[in-house]
Parts: sequence; structure tokens; C-alpha cells
Amino acid sequence: MAREIGGDTAEGNKFETSRRRFLGSSGLAAIGAVIGGALPLSRNGIGIPQAHAQAAPAAAPAPAKGPQLLKFPGKNEGLVVLGEKPLVAETPESLLDDDTTPIEKFYIRNNGQIPEEAKDPDAWKITIDGEVNNKIEITLGELKSKYKAVTRRMVLECGGNGRAGFSPPARGNQWTNGGAGCAEWTGVPLADLLKKAGLKPSAKYTAHYAADLHLSGDAGKPTISRGVRIEKAMDPNTLIVWAMNGKPLPNIHGGPVRLIVPGWAGSASQKWLTRITIRDKEHDGPGMTEFSYRTAIKPMVPGGKADPANFRILESMPVRSIITNPANGAKFAAGTKELKLRGASWAGDLTVKQVDVSTDFGASWQRATLEKPKNRYDWQRWTATLKLPTDGYFEIWARATDSKGAMQPHQAGFWNPQGYGGNAMHRIAVLVG
Amino acid sequence: MMVRLAWLAVAGMLWIAPAMAQTTFTPREESPEEFSAGAGRDETFYACTACHGFRLVAQQGMTRAQWEDSINLMIRRHNMPPLDDKDREKILTYLETAYPPRAPAGRGGWVNPFAK
Repeated sequence: MAREIGGDTAEGNKFETSRRRFLGSSGLAAIGAVIGGALPLSRNGIGIPQAHAQAAPAAAPAPAKGPQLLKFPGKNEGLVVLGEKPLVAETPESLLDDDTTPIEKFYIRNNGQIPEEAKDPDAWKITIDGEVNNKIEITLGELKSKYKAVTRRMVLECGGNGRAGFSPPARGNQWTNGGAGCAEWTGVPLADLLKKAGLKPSAKYTAHYAADLHLSGDAGKPTISRGVRIEKAMDPNTLIVWAMNGKPLPNIHGGPVRLIVPGWAGSASQKWLTRITIRDKEHDGPGMTEFSYRTAIKPMVPGGKADPANFRILESMPVRSIITNPANGAKFAAGTKELKLRGASWAGDLTVKQVDVSTDFGASWQRATLEKPKNRYDWQRWTATLKLPTDGYFEIWARATDSKGAMQPHQAGFWNPQGYGGNAMHRIAVLVG
Repeated sequence: MMVRLAWLAVAGMLWIAPAMAQTTFTPREESPEEFSAGAGRDETFYACTACHGFRLVAQQGMTRAQWEDSINLMIRRHNMPPLDDKDREKILTYLETAYPPRAPAGRGGWVNPFAK
């Protein structure tokens, strides 16, 4: 369908696939031999497409010190790369200072290969099947013309946001707080399509499928396929979207069309959406089972052996707040007695009741001024003015409390192997004088 | 034509010419030498990078048992070719030595920007 891999990228895929096959068939002993001889293939060009040989650099660049900053067309160069294959980049808290996160500053999370950009977005097809009375096959063009579009500003947050706070480290990309952003999404409530299709009484759960290829190159293997309880799918804020901040949804963010399942782990918000199958039981696709997007029912010893039977699906994301100005590491002139803070806070399916800030490691707290969300699932911006007693080194901590009274902890707790639910307080350090 | 040539020149530095520069992304090519030295590094590097960047591995800090869980997960769920006992031993020994759980505990990935 829309994923047409062509040109040099296809060469790259072929190369990856053949190298993989080679590895798979010959084992490590053979690799060892090759290492001594021809490998790395990509540097001397033996056995690889000519295009690569011509383009191959003389040597791999030296590893960068400090965070690796993103270089990607249309994206802010302040984003921090967590991985390049798959491409994952987070937004430092200080770049989340806009009320609406601009596309250039929005974090990037991929699980598989990035598809080619759709040449004819309106011809992109979405299928809704499974436990429905009438299967729907609809193009994006038809979706736009036949259904009533809505625009809502809503947080999208990676399920692993805050993972870096776990000790010992949990498996996966080491997100700090930057796997989140809040954009204006335009699309159609999924519920409108599900009503049109007619849910059977057996409809319990969704299963989402997309056009991005698994990293192994296996076209028969979904990169990731998650789903949600039917109640969440029917929430009027769960949208099939094609525009972000009023612009066509960029390919890197799942364009031309993706799901937005606000408040829940971002992986439920399938990018490059092609199909939603309604199931009569909990979905069991890649990303649904064992420890994926799951937390422990009975708290486990950090770093210990986990039992899959003790795990349940992470649904709503936990409460979180970030200081978006000043930036961590900011310096102020000697004699500065007052600091103006700005920040954002959100709480998955809930709202934020209050945000407090501290400059004395939590010994005392000051209430921030908190805005109301624009609509449900919007984040809530906050401001505070801090008085500083002296010059010197200060840490500023921010702590949000959700509408049910749950506060952010000092450390990521309830350790789990893949590090979900980490919402330790954000802290920045500033130097005065 | 000039544009295309210019792209090729740029692409030369990027290793692969992006077919659609707006949206494709070519990972920087990694080499084993960039990562923690140790016996088994090359074998580990090539076993993992058949699919994904080694940076994903190097981000982690885990015990041998957790590394073993990770490898089992890759084999079970992500098409990684099974390892024989000798290779498994070599790779696990490298990973537990080069990427153990990080100390100090509880700092949460937060780094004091003023620390020297």
C-alpha cells in the first residue's frame, strides 16, 4: 500500500536483510572469521551495493561526548537522540516551554523502520474489522469528507517516559521527562467509525496495525501492535488524526494518519495506522504481553526476577510536572533575588490539582499558579515566582498532585523490568552569582 | 540535476542518499570500537546490530540475569537467531562486564550540570 520503499533506502534495507540472513545462518563463529577479514562490510564496500561503497566514509566518526543532538529535517536540533536505529529522540524539558508544542520540538519514538512518506495521503486506506457488524474500508480522503473533524490539544506521552529514574536501570530507552509533548490534533473520533461499523456485543478490545516495517525486515511481523479496552476506544477524545498543529501530520509522527489515545502510553497511539481489528478478548500483539507496557501487581524487588503472571497493563499514565523555564544549568547574575518559573503538568486520564515547587530539597514547598486545561487531556501550564535568600547553588524541584490526590514521588518507585510508571519529580539546578 | 548531484555529495557524508530527504533518516554507522572494550565486544556488537543500533544496548546497565532475559526476549519476540552456548557465554560475559547496573543508585539519570 502506501509504504513504498524505493531508491537508496531500499538498498539499505536489502543490505540489512541480507546481512541479517547471513548472521542467522552462519552463527557467531563465522562472524568472528569475517571480522578478521572483510567486516565491517560497509566501510570497504565488499559485498554491498555499489552506492554504499561510493558513499562509505573513511572511518566511523568518534563517539560524541555528552548528549547526541538530533539532526533531522524539520526538527529542532536541541532534541536528544536516545537511539538512531530505531530513531528515538526526546525533548529536553526547557524546550517544552511553548503552550502548544511545535512540531519541530515534538519527541520522536519509533519501534521499527521509518516508512517512506505517502505519495498520495488521501488514498491511504484504513480498515476496521473484527467484532463489528459491517467492516469498514475507508480512505483518508473519505474520512476527511464524510466525518466531522474535531481539533483538541492533548498530551502524547511515551509509556516509558521517566524510565531513567529507575534504580537499578530498567530495560529500554532511557527517557528522562522528554518523551512527551502537547499538540493540537485534528481528526475524527474513533467512536464515530466504531458506531458506523456497529460493535457486536462480543467487542472487548482493539488491535492496532500499521505500515512500519519491523527492524528485522520481516514484513510478516508487526513492529508493534497494541490496543485498548473498548471503553477507551469509545472515548470521544480517542481520535484518528491527520493534522498536527494545523499542518498535515508529518511522516515522522506517523503521517498521513495515526491514532491518538490520549492519557495512555503513547504506543497505543499507533503511527501510520492501517487497520483496527476489534477483538473479543484482550489483544496479544507485540507490545501487549509479558512485561511490555505493564507494571507489577504485587511490588517486586528492584532488579529481581519478574513473573509475567504478576503484571497488568499500564493504562493511564501517572501524574508528572516539568520545569520548562529556566533550563537546568541556568546561571543568574550575583544578587538575583527572584526567579520566575514556568512549567507544565499532566496526569494521564486525570487532571492536575496542584503543583508545588521547592528550593530546599523538599523541606518547604510553595504552591504554583496552575492553569486549567483547554480541553480534556490538555496539559496544564503553571508559573511560580521564587524568592532566593542568597546567591549560590540551588536546586528547584517541582511536584504535581493529580485530581485523586496522588503526588509525584522523589524517586521512580515500583520497579518493573521495562521501567513503566516512573514519575519522579523533575529537578533543575541553577547557579546565582 | 545539480540538485541531485548536490544531494549525492551530502549523502556521501551520510553514507546513504536519502530518497526523500524530508522524512527518511539514516542512522550514523556505528563501529564496535566506539563501545566499551572487552572480550566478546565484536561478537556482541554484530549480533545486536543485525537489527538495531548498539546504542540501544549501551544505554542499558543490567545484571547478567537481566541481560540473559533481554537476549531471550530478542530471540523469542524479535527474530534474533538463537545463540549456541559458547556464543551466549561470550556475549553475556561481555555485557555484564561492560554494561553493569550503574551506580550511584537513585540519581535518576540526572546529572549535575555544575559537577566537574
